[in-house]
This record gives sequence, C-alpha cells and structure tokens, in this order.
Amino acid sequence: MMDKYRQLDISGDTGLEITGESIEDLFKNAAAGLCELITDTSSVIVSDERKVTFSSDSTEDLLVKWLNELIFLFDAQGFIFKDCEIEIENNRLSGSISGGIFNPESHERRLLIKAATYNGLSLLNEGGSWKAKVIFDI
Amino acid sequence: MEGLVEALFREIPTGVGSKGKLKLNSKEHRKVLVKGARWVVEQGFGSIDDLEHSESGGCIDGADPDLISEKAYERGSPQLGTLGSGNHFTEIQYVDEIFDESAANMLGLFKGQVTVMIHTGSRGFGHQVCTDFLEVMQRAVKKYGISLPDRELACAPFNSDESRDYLAAMKAAANYAWANRQYISHWVRESFMHTFGTGPSALGMSLLYDVAHNMAKVEEHVVNGTKMKLVIHRKGATRAFPPGHPELPGAYKETGQPVIIPGDMGRASYVLIGTERGMKESFGSTCHGAGRLLSRHQAIRRARGRSIRREMEDMGITVRYTGRETLAEEMPEAYKDISNVVDVVHKAGLSKKVARLKPLGVIKG
Repeated sequence: MMDKYRQLDISGDTGLEITGESIEDLFKNAAAGLCELITDTSSVIVSDERKVTFSSDSTEDLLVKWLNELIFLFDAQGFIFKDCEIEIENNRLSGSISGGIFNPESHERRLLIKAATYNGLSLLNEGGSWKAKVIFDI
Repeated sequence: MEGLVEALFREIPTGVGSKGKLKLNSKEHRKVLVKGARWVVEQGFGSIDDLEHSESGGCIDGADPDLISEKAYERGSPQLGTLGSGNHFTEIQYVDEIFDESAANMLGLFKGQVTVMIHTGSRGFGHQVCTDFLEVMQRAVKKYGISLPDRELACAPFNSDESRDYLAAMKAAANYAWANRQYISHWVRESFMHTFGTGPSALGMSLLYDVAHNMAKVEEHVVNGTKMKLVIHRKGATRAFPPGHPELPGAYKETGQPVIIPGDMGRASYVLIGTERGMKESFGSTCHGAGRLLSRHQAIRRARGRSIRREMEDMGITVRYTGRETLAEEMPEAYKDISNVVDVVHKAGLSKKVARLKPLGVIKG
C-alpha cells in the first residue's frame, strides 16, 4: 500500500506528494501531512471543531484553498487538524474539522508554513485512486 | 553574551505558534497598515531618527486597509511584534573588517563595533494578503487571457482594478513589516538596556538602515537611454541605490544606500553601499542573502547526531532557538559562503563592500 503522504525534498521550500482512495480521502491525507510538517500531531488532543464551506474553479484549486484554510486556522487560532468529515462535489467543499489547539510550550515546533502554492500543483485520478503534489511556501 | 541573548529571547516572541505581546484593537491595527513604523514611533517605540534611516521613512503611501480581508486581520493581529521562524533571526555581531574606511566612517561603522541585525517581515499578515490576492489574480489571468509558465506567477495588467487593489494591499503588508521591525528594534534596545544597565543613547545604539525586500515598487530607471517608470519586484534581492539618489536620506546621499546582506549564523554578514553601476545593470538591486547550498532535508540529515547549538558555542556564538529542526536547517553549512557571494557582487560593481560583521549571538524561531 502506498503512503498516504510523502514529504518532498525541495531546496528552500517543502512539499507533499499525497494519495487517496477518494477525493475526500486525498484532502484528508493532505491535511494530515500538512499538520505533521507543523508539529508532531500525535501529541495534539482533539478539543475543538471548525465548520468549513467554500468553493473554487477547479478541484486542484479547491485543494490549495483547503490547505490554505488549515494554514490560516493554525496561524491565526493555533488550531491543528486531526480529522475531518467533508464532502466534495462540483468543486465545493463542506464539512467539519476536528482538532486541538497548539501549545508552543508543550508541542513540537517544526515548520512555519506560510502558504500552499500553485507552483507545480497537480491532482489526478489514476486507475481509481487519487494522487496530488503540492508545494508549500515556508 | 549569554545574558544578552537570553534577554533578546525573552523580549522578542520567536518561533512557530508564538504570539505577540501587543494588544491592538482594530482601529490601531488599521493605523499600523497605513502608517507603518511611523505609527509605532508615535506610540513611543523608537525615535524620529529611526524613521529617517528607514526606506521610505518606514511607511509607504497608498496602503488601503479596506482591501484587507478579515482573515488577514485575524492572522496579523496576534503576530505583530514577533520574529517568526525559518530564516528569520535577530543577531548580535561585531565589525570584524572594514573594506572602505571613508564609507564606513560616513555610515558610522568602525572595527570592533557591536551591531544588531534583524531579519523579519510582514509575518502571517503578509502571507494571508498574498494568499487572498493570488486567488484574485488566478481569475485575472483567465479574464485577461494571460499565458503563464507557472500558475504561481498569476498576475494582472498594471492598470487594472485587480492590480490597483493588490498594490494597495501589498503596501499595507509592507507597512505592517516596517512596524514589526520597529517594535523588535525597540525591544532589542530594551534588552541591551536591561543587560548593561544603561540606555540606548549612552550605548550609541542608532539605526543604520531598515529596508524592505520581497516587494514590488514603482521606480524611475533609465532603459535604453530613456527615463521610464518601472515596477521593480525584488524577490531574494534587496534595494541598493547609488549616491545622490533622491529617495535616500541626507545621511546617505554621498555614500549611497547601505546594503545589508545577511550570511549565515556561523560565518559573516556584510554591509555594502549601492553604486551607479548597480543602478544601471540590476535596477538598483543586490542579492538579499547567501542562498541555500543544502535543501532543508539535506541539512536535517547532515545535522543528525550532532548538536548544532554546541558547535556554534564552540565557535564562540551563543544561540537560543525554539525549533530543533529549524536550527538544523539554518546551520552554517546549509548556506553558500556569503564572503564568496559578496565578492561576486563587489567585483561586478553592483554594490561596494564596506564592512564585514561576525556573529556573536543569535535568536531563531
């Protein structure tokens, strides 16, 4: 079985290669991969929930928007993704995210991710499974 | 040095997830976006002299706080007065070598002098402005039928509504960055004051220069013998204006703009001055740093089993940090040797070497 996500070695920035059995699964794995770049999520306890609804011009763009939403939630509110229940239809995402609040005193500080970018962005369905590549600005 | 670095680390919120100690209401936040470092000085954090030694007086005109999203306000509010992470730092250094005595004199630099270098910017606020407007520009690319080699290069014609709005928002982010550095400069002075028991004036702590980077500005340049207004976007580059340029403060009219080039935390950083040749050949721009030699992964792999902090201490450099991986990524060997990079700039005539600064202590995110 392929890893749900894999960190890419890019000079100056970082990225993720993500797989998923469905588009929702891929979005969830991308979120998990992103948050693992920020901290060791195993030490984050679920305590909060956030509702999300937004749309975009394409599924690729929706993935960037989703990751930027999670970056915003972390950077503004200290909210770290742990799990989600989302639906994606016609380039519209809706659902809820469960997570915990980052504590710089007790949680590991890894990368400060500024944004998910459109640079080298890809999202494809290959033989029924989904694959994506996203580069982050750090 | 340990006490001073500790004081800096205590005074300046640093690293992933750190929050600032300022509590600004939304009216004050909007003022920061319009007035930049000028507003911070008005609140008692610094002096007029700081503004006179800052690019554009620490505030660029034309910022429009109405164009800023709620998200950017929410992300920026707790982060004002924070250093950040990654390659951002505050470093205590000393002048180890002077290459141009006359220019050094005019800049107030001398051998053995202690200096402090601060590298930070608009934090999450600027990133959110960028994220918000990248979406606008993605739509603009389609609207104006622009073909791009990479979608991240999304853009719009300069005289479009999208561009006008973006530039007014970007200026707000630049003003936020000037304000951020002004607060941090103030806390640097306080840290020195508390550590040495004497004030910044008695210690001779004056600002050499505060300059923006990763920013686009409309400037006048000569192209094929004709004066033209151009949008100069400096990314990984810093401004380096020559002697006599109208945008330089009186103190630097004769020398040219001080050009600050940080190296890595183990070797050196440099102060140069802008030249006429640089104005002609690189639109008054010079590199902003050494540039990475190792990717972040390679650096982390190479640092495995080593204590970078100990190695730095063995070199006589005190380090305080919040993220172990950040320190590994930022270790000296992850970067090109700044001395070689600066020699290229100097020999090409893009800027002229004035002084080399050696690190004594650093705080990192």
